[in-house]
Amino acid sequence: MDQLTLITFLPLVGALLVLLTPASQEKVLRAIALVTTLVVAVLGVRLYLQFDGASAALQCAVDKPWFVLPGSAIAVRYKLGVDGLSILMVVLTAVLMPTVILSTWGHIHKRVKEFMVWMLVMQTGMLGVFLATDLVLFYFFWEVSLIPLYFMVGIWGGERRLYATIKFFLYTLAGSLVMLVAVIALIYHFRTADIETLCAQAGSLELTKQLWLFAGFALAFSIKVPLLPFHTWLADAHTEAPTSGSVVLAGVLLKMGTYGLLRFGVDMFPAASLELAPLFMALGAVGIVYGAFLAMAQTDVKRLVACSSVSHLGYVVLGMFALTRAGLSGSILQMVNHGISTGLLFLLIGMIYERRHTRALDQFGGIASTMPIFAFFLVFTVLSSAALPGLNGFVGEYLILLGAFQAKPLWAIIGVLGVIFGAVYLLVATRRVLFGPVTHEENKHLEDLNVREIGLMLPMVVLAVWIGFQPTPFLDQSRGSLDRVMKKIELARGAQSAALEVQPLTTEEVVR
Amino acid sequence: MNPQDLLQLFDERAIEAVRPLLALSAGLIILLLSGVFDGLKALRGPIVVATLLFGGWLTASNFVTQPGVVLDGTYSADRAASAWGLLFVVATLLAWLFSHHYYAEDERPFQLEHDVLMLTTPIGMMLMGGAQNLIVFFVGLEILSIPLYALASFRRSRARSVEAGLKYFLLGAFAAAFFLYGSSLIYAATGTVQLAEIKAIGIHGPLALAGVALLMASLFFKISVFPFHLWVPDVYQGSPTPVTALMATGTKAAAFAFLLNAMFMLPAKAAVLVAVVALVTMALGNLGALAQTDVKRMLAYSGIAHAGTVLLVVAGTLAGDPESGGALHAALFYMGAYVFTAAGAFGLLALLERDGERFTSLESLKGLAHRRPVVAAALTLFMLSLGGIPATGGFLGKWMVFSSLVRAGLIWPAVIGALLSVIALGYYLRVVIAMYMQPASDRDAATQSVRGASAMPATLAAGVCAVFVLVMGVLPSLFLDRLP
Repeated sequence: MDQLTLITFLPLVGALLVLLTPASQEKVLRAIALVTTLVVAVLGVRLYLQFDGASAALQCAVDKPWFVLPGSAIAVRYKLGVDGLSILMVVLTAVLMPTVILSTWGHIHKRVKEFMVWMLVMQTGMLGVFLATDLVLFYFFWEVSLIPLYFMVGIWGGERRLYATIKFFLYTLAGSLVMLVAVIALIYHFRTADIETLCAQAGSLELTKQLWLFAGFALAFSIKVPLLPFHTWLADAHTEAPTSGSVVLAGVLLKMGTYGLLRFGVDMFPAASLELAPLFMALGAVGIVYGAFLAMAQTDVKRLVACSSVSHLGYVVLGMFALTRAGLSGSILQMVNHGISTGLLFLLIGMIYERRHTRALDQFGGIASTMPIFAFFLVFTVLSSAALPGLNGFVGEYLILLGAFQAKPLWAIIGVLGVIFGAVYLLVATRRVLFGPVTHEENKHLEDLNVREIGLMLPMVVLAVWIGFQPTPFLDQSRGSLDRVMKKIELARGAQSAALEVQPLTTEEVVR
Repeated sequence: MNPQDLLQLFDERAIEAVRPLLALSAGLIILLLSGVFDGLKALRGPIVVATLLFGGWLTASNFVTQPGVVLDGTYSADRAASAWGLLFVVATLLAWLFSHHYYAEDERPFQLEHDVLMLTTPIGMMLMGGAQNLIVFFVGLEILSIPLYALASFRRSRARSVEAGLKYFLLGAFAAAFFLYGSSLIYAATGTVQLAEIKAIGIHGPLALAGVALLMASLFFKISVFPFHLWVPDVYQGSPTPVTALMATGTKAAAFAFLLNAMFMLPAKAAVLVAVVALVTMALGNLGALAQTDVKRMLAYSGIAHAGTVLLVVAGTLAGDPESGGALHAALFYMGAYVFTAAGAFGLLALLERDGERFTSLESLKGLAHRRPVVAAALTLFMLSLGGIPATGGFLGKWMVFSSLVRAGLIWPAVIGALLSVIALGYYLRVVIAMYMQPASDRDAATQSVRGASAMPATLAAGVCAVFVLVMGVLPSLFLDRLP
């Protein structure tokens, strides 16, 4: 069996094993899930090491017949492959999952079996989204990955879980179904479902068509990211989800949106992206500031981090639609960074919640004196999230702002404001949780983090420092693919400016 | 016509084409006879199953050999008609399997009549699906409808069932009258009732158009399309659940099979009108379903929405879908997935019902995932398929319907239809929420799951449905490659 099929479907096999194990054997269930995700993580790292970032081609490609659409004889194929746009996402998904599974020891105590099944199914769905290189297969995984989170929030979530889960599902589905129409239109227009071919040919469509198709795709992805004004589902879903659900949601699921914008927006419709870039940069920049303001106003720590997600993903979109080399590299790296920092933040909030059973900011204070190890990790994570130089967040945000400045200085300046606001709400929240006098009796005798909790965070902490000091190897992974994308953008830019120059000529002709 | 001609009409090809009908009729007669002799009572079940399997096998062989249009151009047994025929047989078999343990003790003595009536319906459906002649269709329609009227009110001790039968009968009679009147107008305008000849002559003039309008009204009634859908919720809810399953799947498929054959009568200009009617049907079905607290009634409304969705392919064809057979493929696959999904869902409800209507309410499904995890998982699968989520047959059906619209250039109807199906997930998910995310009330936990254990045939049928729904979603080439 080839590597990518193995990596994608191994979690599903794990899910079947869990399904066949009696529900009373909780330890075995957890062990199966952990071992499965660990093996996938190892496979992911191996894939990363094998991957050649200088090449723009699809690597480790798998191509098998799946089915043929009747009448038109358009072949839908089982095609997987990895390139510079997806490699980091795949590795992130693979590496993050053991951490997530380990974190469930602390907060998932009922219906463990079902939870593990959904977690593993979700991993297959997410990996499939990043690896699929056939449009139908992509759509298939895209919708399938909705269902596990729906159950996770709905069964193991907080008090308003039903509201949150329905909102999340319907919101995302509405976008997906509009995308379905765009997918169908694209496939029947070019009579192929192969993403590589479509990417190469879609640029030849006339601009109006490109714009409509782009809009169809971008709506689904913008909801998923979520971009302003579609962000309202995220705060609810994050707040109500169990810790591990939040980590996956922030760490990987939201990246499906930004990844989609990159592959099916920028890469597939460069001219339309160029046309709409000002809009998306504006939405990104406003999202950065607006998300930061939202976060400042929160009293629930988890909701605060959820709002900070809106802000951080604004950077990703801002950098991507700057459509410059630096912006694109930065936004790809920032997707990983956000997964690490926000994932860690949710883990830490989950750990404190397990001890205090509250997330209200005013219930804390002075925790640093009772939980010094926790305090260290929280401060570290907050600094990584606030983009302190030397940690991962800095590299990504710096590149994004640089790229944005090259394209549209105004939005870059607004984005820089966001950096400041971001530091404000993160540091204020940290101060209120960790420092000052211990005002609540319950906070005096809190148990510090145990070995499991430290261990599960360590890989991410190491990654955060590593990316902070040595970003080049990570950035290099997408070099070849970004060269290819940039070439397309330059072509489209040339065509756009040529069209602008031609226009006055034609009016002159009319006058003549 | 003298006897000689009649014999000539029944040539080898014709015999081959009508073999499934003959087999089903023969089985029907044997079943009736078995009721006369006490010793044969135990054979009733095997006779029904054997008849349907044999009929299905003959239909499948027609699918391969394709006898084509026979009997002076009135009946067709080509690939399409045979594919539809297979669906009818499957739908009947599933409904019968679900009915096996459904009825309460006091209704049991009439089980033979029930089985006879049920076995009559696929004969009618096949005639409808293969009809190339308005009168042949009408005969099929009546052969199907009259047993269904009786079946709908089969639980005669319950007011709702009787009401369902009466309502269905009265409105069905109107629809039949519409059809006859429409046919007569078309005959007056064109001088023929043969579809092929009508097609050659074309529909011109107000008389013929009025006839077509009446004809369509009657068909829309059968497939429950706006504005002829109002009978559906009451009839579906009041009828015994296995009969509801048969009405929702078989009847609808049969009417669609003929609608696809007869849609050439609609002028191309009607494309937008049909699309609007279909979208309104979807909207009304989905919004109606959203307000329900009873799952059976909710599925009835969802059936209306699905009828609207399939009707979209007619709009696509009228608007000039460049792909020949696009509508047929989409409708066949969609209805195929729907037969397994809806029959499975109704069947599981029948399994849960035990006694009376209470167990079809959303309330009583709460906590089902604990009490009966497999049933809950299967019902979840059916709900996702009805909602058109990938990895189920429902997804590809929806894909094909929308792609027919997109190819024909009807982008906006496709987008609106897509958004309307988001509403549908709103109520399908409510069923899942009740089963998995809400605790059971004590009363239900104590009383349920007594009878289900003994209902082997129904469990088997539900399992088969689940397998087909999954296979159609994951390995669709098994079906797609065989589409006519």
